Parts: sequence; structure tokens; C-alpha cells
Amino acid sequence: MSYRYSDENTPPPARKASEVAQTTFEHVYEVDPRLMQTHVLQQVFPNWDTLRIMHARHDHLEWMHHHFAHTTISGSELMGDTTT
Amino acid sequence: MTGETELATPTVSTLEHPPTDLIDRVVERLHGVLRPDQILTGKTDRYNRARVPAPFPVHRWRERVPDLAVLPESTEEVAAVVRIANELKCPVVPRDGGTGLTDGAVPLRGGIVVDVKRMNRIHELDLENRTVTVGTGINMLKLNEVLGRHGLIYPDDPASYPCSLVGGRIGTSGWSLIGARYGHTRDLVLSFDFVLPTGEILHVGDGIGRKISKSSSGYQLKHLFMGHQGTLGIATKATLKLYPKPEAELSPFWAFDDYDAAYRFTGALARAGVATFAGAVLFDEWKVAYLRRDDEAYIPQPADVRALTCAVLYGWEDEVRVGGKRLFRIAKEHGARYLGDEISEGDWAARHDRYATPLHGRTKSGQVVPMSWHCEDAAVNYTDVPAVTKAWHEIVADLRRRTDVFDDWGMFAYTSADTGVDYLTEIDVGIWEQRLDDAAWAMWVQAKRDIAAAALAHGGSISACHGSCREGEVDLVPRELGRGFDVMLGVKRMLDPNNIMNPGKYLLDFAYQGDVSAQLDELRGIR
Ligand SMILES: Cc1cc2nc3c(=O)[nH]c(=O)nc-3n(C[C@H](O)[C@H](O)[C@H](O)COP(=O)(O)OP(=O)(O)OC[C@H]3O[C@@H](n4cnc5c(N)ncnc54)[C@H](O)[C@@H]3O)c2cc1C
Repeated sequence: MSYRYSDENTPPPARKASEVAQTTFEHVYEVDPRLMQTHVLQQVFPNWDTLRIMHARHDHLEWMHHHFAHTTISGSELMGDTTT
Repeated sequence: MTGETELATPTVSTLEHPPTDLIDRVVERLHGVLRPDQILTGKTDRYNRARVPAPFPVHRWRERVPDLAVLPESTEEVAAVVRIANELKCPVVPRDGGTGLTDGAVPLRGGIVVDVKRMNRIHELDLENRTVTVGTGINMLKLNEVLGRHGLIYPDDPASYPCSLVGGRIGTSGWSLIGARYGHTRDLVLSFDFVLPTGEILHVGDGIGRKISKSSSGYQLKHLFMGHQGTLGIATKATLKLYPKPEAELSPFWAFDDYDAAYRFTGALARAGVATFAGAVLFDEWKVAYLRRDDEAYIPQPADVRALTCAVLYGWEDEVRVGGKRLFRIAKEHGARYLGDEISEGDWAARHDRYATPLHGRTKSGQVVPMSWHCEDAAVNYTDVPAVTKAWHEIVADLRRRTDVFDDWGMFAYTSADTGVDYLTEIDVGIWEQRLDDAAWAMWVQAKRDIAAAALAHGGSISACHGSCREGEVDLVPRELGRGFDVMLGVKRMLDPNNIMNPGKYLLDFAYQGDVSAQLDELRGIR
């Protein structure tokens, strides 16, 4: 986390991700701000908070996997070997 | 289909709450059986126990607030509360996690909410017979944290897993995401202690056993005392069936460029007879379009991803690998495109907890609006899933043409059994609750009737999962159950002579109204 206010409040430049969404950090997507102008306004998040939310989500999903099973087998491991 | 289900006047009514002097007497008597901290009369305590997830017009919320709540800690305390309520003829509403989607835990006539959350102890863990006996206020996630230390799991896994509780699962006879492998709540709950509306205590199981999974002795009462939405009494202590905690999980997601191909593939997976198969889910085109709005997994997907299928396997690692390879072989035959490990694993892990759904609503012009999530469900045979899907989307499209209050968030079809015979079909609908005025509510109630009627017209059941006692669909229950509904009325009248147990639900007031055959005929469409 940067200690400068301006650094924390300047996300990477947004790139269009689809007709209705844009992306800033890798894996971070936002609704296109044009769609949040009437009923709900888009909020400004400091970068550290945006990244915290994203990482917390990943931690949560990781926790769920371990809660239900000891290991997760990935599909890509099995895909190449569908003969037996 | 829309608007075709013409029925008599809406039949879920919120009648008057008990008078204040009756409530005063109830509270006075309760002080004889509970400690003061177990009797809650404060506004916050009462309002907190009125809210449920299913959207309801904000200006009518106050109709559904109980007069008081109690927090019993044992079966005997529950029985003592119910005896007082029965004697003074005061409504009682059982409440557990309050996550039910058919308003079961909502007090329609005020009275006492019996909140069983303090009955959350693990009473006995029997490692030899693989059972655990718990208070019905326990949550499956918390229980499994303890069981995990013994290498065990209680695999009742609704999408409300972190916040629904064992008693509510019994009250709804719930449906589990991994039920094709482990069974649903009715299969996993072996027996329970139960307080009848008169305050008598009964043990319900297969035969009289606590840990018996199959008995042929007498009537099979366990099913009767599950899924009644708290209208027949309160489950207080339950014995549950346990399994080894799975060594391995596999949850591949595949993409298709059209619904029909994904539908055929889902059927093939479910019929494959793979022992570790825990379920398959079909996402339709509306669901995929909805996910593209703001779900990081789906925003970047190419435009030709229009329908999805996911399968889930649990078990020993060697078994899961072999079963998984078989499913990938079927995928190859069906031209399914694997979506990759990240989405497959991440999306499945997120399915156990579908509470985070804010701000997904859009007006017709595309602007974001705060909508609450609602989901209508049905049980439908595989061969009828496409027709029901089409009919339901038409019903919701008609609502949306008329107002921005409703938004179609797409449909899922989930396997219920390990053979692929029937599917839980669900349509997710965004509802702009702040704009839900009386006119919009009436439209919604009619749409709910039409949704239920479409499921029945295709040989299905109104609900696989949530129950069918909410305004709208409840009017079709006499039609669905036929003579069985008259039996329901007889059972209710016999077990609850004063209609104190969760009154106003499931049209059970008819049980106390003499000859109602004309009204029932009208609801059944036989005039
Ligand atoms: C995001 C989300 C996802 C969901 N996904 C699923 C799903 O996948 N599968 C599924 O089945 N459901 C699902 N549901 C619905 C709901 O979680 C289930 O119906 C659940 O079984 C309700 O449990 P609860 O503890 O919240 O019960 P409550 O809502 O408190 O009660 C449900 C009903 O049971 C009665 N009841 C409560 N406690 C008792 C008791 N001790 N004895 C007798 N009756 C009692 C109540 O009066 C009420 O009628 C979902 C809900 C949400 C919000």
C-alpha cells in the first residue's frame, strides 16, 4: 500500500472488458460507470481496498474447497487422459 | 401462459394479531417457564425475527412482526412454551436461520416466534454407527468444522449452507446441491424429537429408532413431520447420518454455444451412473447473459458461450479420478468446451454460498438498480425441463414489459437424483423492492401462480426445494395434491386443534372451516 493518497486513489487506467463492464487490476472487473449514473452511483474505492476484497474472495473460495474435501482435482489433469 | 391461472380471491391473509392483553398474559405465563433473558419483547428483537430473504412490499413489513420471541434451550422448554400458547390460543412460529424462501418463518398473525438458535449443541457423536445427535439450532457449516476433525461430514449442502440450520432444513425438507450423491435432508436426518402443537413430545424416525435408517414398522411418520413449514410442530433434537469427509472434489464447467446441446450433455452426465457423481447443473442462456453483467468469471468469456453445464464429484481420490475421466469422455462426445480450472473450481466453491447478490439489477435501459433476489423453483422431469424453462421466461418477460420492478436473472436446472430422473428448476428474478407497490405485488403474485401452473402442466411439482406456501403458488397446492390436500387438512385439524402452530400457512385455515369442498373445487379448477 502506498502512503500517498493520490497513489491509492488512482487505479490503473480502465480497459473495456465488454459492452457493460471494464477492468482495472488483473481479475478486477467493474460495471461500466455509464450504467451507474441514475439510481446507484459508483463508489470510489482505494486500491488497497479493491485488492483486499478480491483477495478475500479468493481466500473464501479456498476455504470452501478445504471445508468440503481434502484435495481439489483439476479438470485439466483429466482432460488429456480420457481413455480409461 | 401469463395470467391464465385464474383462481378465487388470494388466500394468504394476514389476519389480526392477538390483542395486547392476551400477549401480556402469555408473557406473564412464560416467565414461569423461561428465564427473563429468554423472553424478548423489544422492537429490535422482534423486527430482526420478521425479515426473510424473499422480497415483500416495504410498506407492509410491519404486518409480519411477531409480538414476542423466545429463545428456549431444551425440548422441555419448547414444549412448555407451546403448551402455554395452545392453552391461551396464541400463534407460535418456529424459526431457525430465517433463510427460507417461501415465508415459512414469517409470522402472518403475530404471536410468539420460537427461535431455536440456542439449541445448537452437539449432544452425541457416535463414531461407530456414524451418527451425530444435535440441537436443531445448529448450522451445518459449524457442525462440519467439528466433524472434519474426525474425518467426517454431514453433507446437507444447500446454497444457503453458511446460514441455514438443521431445524429449518427439517421444516422445509430441504434440497442439497450434492444430493445426487448423498441424498437430501429427508435422507440424511435419521430421527428427531418433536414438539406437537399441544405441547406433547414425540420421537419421530424410522420405527421408533434413533439411529435406524430403514424400518417397516408402522406408518412412516418421518416424512410427515418434515417439510410442513412449521405447521405441525417444532423439531428440537435430531440424529443425522454421517459420511467420510471426501478426499477429493472435482467440479468441471463446460461451455456450449446453444442451450439444446448443453441440455443433452447434462442429461448424459446424469444418466452415466458414475458412483461419485454428486450433481450436474445446467445454466441457460439468460443465466449466462446475466452473469456477464458483473461476474468476473463470465465477463471475459467469448460471445459464443451461451449455455453451461457443470458436474460435481466427491469421494476418494482414485474413484473421483476414474469417474471424472468418464465424464470428460462424455464431454468430448458432446463437443463440450472445458472452461478451465480457475472458473470451474472458483465457481463451484461459490455455489455453497449464494447470499452475495446485491446490485445485479438493471432497468430496461441498462442502468444499475438495487434489486433483491428471488427464486421460484419446481421439480420437473428431465424431458420437461426445456418446456418449463421457456414458459417461465415468457411469464417473467411479460412482467418486465410492464415494469422495471422485475428483471429476469436466468435459470438453472440441477439434478435431484443420481439417475437424472428429475431436476430442480429455478428461475432467479430480481425485484426492486423499494418500488414494489401494491400493483406490482399483485402482478408478482399472479406471475407466481402462473409459474407454479406451468410446472404442474408439465407433470412437475410446485417446489423441489423451498416449499410452496407463499402467496401465489400456495393457491395451486390443492390442485397439485388432489385428495392428498384433504388428508393434509385432516392431519392439521387433529394435531393442532386450536390452529396455533404457524397459522395462515399452506391454506390450512380451511381445516377449521367446516365443509370447504366448494372452495377447494374452485382452487382446483373444478367449478
Ligand atoms: C441464498 C439462498 C440459497 C438457498 N438455497 C437453497 C438450496 O440450495 N436448497 C434448499 O433446500 N433451500 C435453499 N434455500 C432456502 C432455505 O435456505 C432453506 O429452505 C432452509 O432449509 C431454511 O433453513 P432455515 O434454518 O433458514 O429455516 P427458516 O427459514 O428459519 O425456517 C424454514 C421453515 O421451517 C420452519 N422451521 C424452522 N425451524 C424449525 C424447527 N426446528 N422445527 C420445525 N419447523 C421449523 C419454519 O417455521 C419455516 O416454515 C436458499 C435460501 C437462500 C437465501
